[in-house]
Amino acid sequence: MKESWVMIPCRTAHRLISEGMDRPLGLGERARLRLHLAMCAMCSRVEHQMDFLRRAMRHIDEG
Amino acid sequence: MNDVAQLDSTLAELQPLLMKLARLQLRNDAWAEDVVSETMVAAIEKRPSFEGRSKYRTWVVGILKHKITDQLRRRMREVSTETQMESVETETFDELYDEDGRRLSPPLDWGDPEDVLSTQQFMAMLQACVDELPGSLGRVFLLREWLEYETTEICKELSITATNCHVMLFRARMRLRECVETNWFAKRAAA
Repeated sequence: MKESWVMIPCRTAHRLISEGMDRPLGLGERARLRLHLAMCAMCSRVEHQMDFLRRAMRHIDEG
Repeated sequence: MNDVAQLDSTLAELQPLLMKLARLQLRNDAWAEDVVSETMVAAIEKRPSFEGRSKYRTWVVGILKHKITDQLRRRMREVSTETQMESVETETFDELYDEDGRRLSPPLDWGDPEDVLSTQQFMAMLQACVDELPGSLGRVFLLREWLEYETTEICKELSITATNCHVMLFRARMRLRECVETNWFAKRAAA
């Protein structure tokens, strides 16, 4: 995927996935992330994994 | 055994877990020992207020979380200085991407991993991976994901910028992802 103002690279997508867990993303950020995720199965995997890790961390005091 | 004796023996059994959690969050053995001692004293003193509605273990871990927060507040100056120093250190993290920001190795498919959350093996591996995070990253990450503080609160308390805070959490999450993938999902896929 060629990088441009609308096409973000995977690294930026990962950063936005992470920041979205800490603050509300801006409209533009959210749109660019959604667009990237719609076209990149690998980053969609990462998004699900981040969500899973957050849930797993809630159980960290049980083990 | 009566109820009180039963609770006291459970408390003694919980000590290793309390110590492990306190070490993970505080990254300082002496502070962790203090916090665990305070927690156990408080658990005994407050026993009459334990109503048996929640699990005893959950109740004790709740006390531990409060004691950890108190300890961090007392040590804020040291924690904040360490965080500021370590947050500017260069990381090997960018090796995960090429110069165009693409990942060098594609992430594995983890499948539908929900059921592993209840297995001790998985939780032990997860704790080991969190333990491998460098000190300040680990502290900030657990403040966010275990003690569930808002990011703005964490940055403010540690006197680091919001950008710095987000970068640290991003790095912690990606490192944890790599570690969990390598030590769990890659092994399951190979088996």
